[in-house]
Amino acid sequence: MLHRKIWVKRPGASATLVQVREDDLVDDVRDVILKKYGNSLGRSFDAPDIILRIVPRAEHGQKQVERVLGPDEQMCQTLDKEYPGGQAVDEALIIDIPQRRTPKPSPRGMNPYMHSYLEEAARPVENGGDYFPPMPAASPAITAASHHSNHSSNEHTRAMSVLNTGQVPPLPSPGGTRRAHHKNSNRPAYMRQHTSSPTTLQAPPTGSSQKVVRPRLDSNASDHRHSAILVGNPPISTPPAQTHDGAAIAPTSTLVNTSHPSSPRVSSPGPRKPKARKNKPPAENTMLAPSIPTSLGLDTSVPPINVLIVEDNHINLKLLEQFIRRLKVRWATAVNGREAVNKWRAGGFHLVLMDIQLPIMSGLEATKEIRRLERVNGIGVFSGSSASSEAPKLLARKSQSIEEAKEEDKLDVERLFKSPVIIVALTASNLQVDRHEALAAGCNDFLTKPVNFVWFERKVKEWGCMQALIDFDGWHKWKDFASAQSPVNSKTANGTKDKKPVKEVVSVKKPAASKPPLPTEDSADLSGTPGPDAESSSN
Amino acid sequence: MADAKSEGSTGLPDPSGEIVDQATFSQILEMDEDEDEREFSKSIVYDFFEQARSTFDKMDKALKEKDLAQLSQLGHFLKGSSATLGLTKVKDSCEKIQHFGARKDETGTQDEPDDSKSLNKSGHSVGQARHEFEEAENLLKKFYHDNE
Repeated sequence: MLHRKIWVKRPGASATLVQVREDDLVDDVRDVILKKYGNSLGRSFDAPDIILRIVPRAEHGQKQVERVLGPDEQMCQTLDKEYPGGQAVDEALIIDIPQRRTPKPSPRGMNPYMHSYLEEAARPVENGGDYFPPMPAASPAITAASHHSNHSSNEHTRAMSVLNTGQVPPLPSPGGTRRAHHKNSNRPAYMRQHTSSPTTLQAPPTGSSQKVVRPRLDSNASDHRHSAILVGNPPISTPPAQTHDGAAIAPTSTLVNTSHPSSPRVSSPGPRKPKARKNKPPAENTMLAPSIPTSLGLDTSVPPINVLIVEDNHINLKLLEQFIRRLKVRWATAVNGREAVNKWRAGGFHLVLMDIQLPIMSGLEATKEIRRLERVNGIGVFSGSSASSEAPKLLARKSQSIEEAKEEDKLDVERLFKSPVIIVALTASNLQVDRHEALAAGCNDFLTKPVNFVWFERKVKEWGCMQALIDFDGWHKWKDFASAQSPVNSKTANGTKDKKPVKEVVSVKKPAASKPPLPTEDSADLSGTPGPDAESSSN
Repeated sequence: MADAKSEGSTGLPDPSGEIVDQATFSQILEMDEDEDEREFSKSIVYDFFEQARSTFDKMDKALKEKDLAQLSQLGHFLKGSSATLGLTKVKDSCEKIQHFGARKDETGTQDEPDDSKSLNKSGHSVGQARHEFEEAENLLKKFYHDNE
């Protein structure tokens, strides 16, 4: 079978080659394009939605007239006919997508910026908006900051979606007219996310949040994709810090000043040279939180989280291990769902990268089990403070689960589980349905295999920073304590194994930030080894 | 046009990208500490050779035993690692094995009620995958200057 490559591009974007067979129809090409644009298109569009346009070479003096290719046209024949001698880069076929996927009434009716909402609807929805509610205020101070930042840094509010989807949502050009709509709509900055806010902040931490339907208010046409350079400024804005675009002292978030300040975004993740990674922006050491003094010496770009990688294929595992080593965080591995649950139970993990198809216990089952255990143990960031709104539900669940919460299910909640673990599913499939299944099982996010390092890094940073923020005091203490007493760690870590039964799970848990744990607990929690096989790669 | 595909056509085992996907493989190469030794990528690639061979053997066995479920699982398994290395063709064939083994058509969308057909098709795909694997193996061995 003969293959050849043809140029395609999205409007205004760089062209790329896709491989087709000689006898492929346009319809087949659409499939190939979805694969190539696995993220920007593949996650929310089906092949038949794709419209391909061809711009025939103009005769001298004639105007170019583009036309839409029919699905049954022979791709290669058409190209040969239109472009005798071969298709040049700038003759790339243009990929169009329907303007609107799901008709949703705009909460604001027809406003002048409607067109951008339409575009918004066409954006990939994968991890988010429909599943998770906008982030509740982590603390009043933080929320306030984010409101202030509306004007001066409204680009940055997009950042979480960058991290989540790996894409920079298209920005209006600075000074562009569309910008006005950000100002007009006095929406809180975090509403701008396309993707989920950290679900760690929701309680209960199960798939039950799926029903939350958040209007997809945000917008932005995809025609400005490449004008965007920023990465990583999550919706939580924090006090002044350096911004990438030189916007000086905008109250932007320093949380995830990722290390790619100058990388143009790519709609499908491409490989990145390691050098880019090493160019850490100076702002990085301020990343943990507003008040972390730089003297803590946080010199890595990823907070000191502990990651559990669950993957049964040792080739894949090997690469993921190499990836995580690069990030210099602590990590451990498991090769099946059962092992994953057991390791998680030992405590101390902030992030789980979970392969979905696993032997013995699948990733989905393991995820459900972890979420169940979190539920019966009342692990939730706001399970204390949100008792007013959540109490009836939680109590109901509790009474129902009280007999379930057997001795064997009990976890050392107070010391080892500050917040629900973040579970990022590793899926081999581009199918939406698989993702939905993963999210429904309680995964927070997913990465498509083969896992791309850039995305991997973003996910770990993004969620890691979120976890770090939740357990901010924990980090703080840990940092101090670890530096002073690192030799003691192994001992205290053992001490955490004795679990005390947790009875008043619903009412006692407070947001971690308001309840600094004891230093010994911290050292055990954060620097102690979580399981027998846990390896520390933080040094 | 700065295209990710065209920029690094040197220093990769398969500049055409047909057998070894450049983007995927180059990120593995980037994990190498030393570009001459290429210790990490070489080890992962050679581990894969081993894994693929043993998986193909298991597939043969499953074919003999007409164990479609096992075939499907093996197909999925090898699909994962071949995808990780960017061995696109092998991956695609493994995916077919996975689908055939699951009593589906090759895209995994339609049910295939006839087990002997499924078995037949799986057998064919296993052969194809093996062939594609060997093709990739040769390229990669050349890349690592291994002329055994």
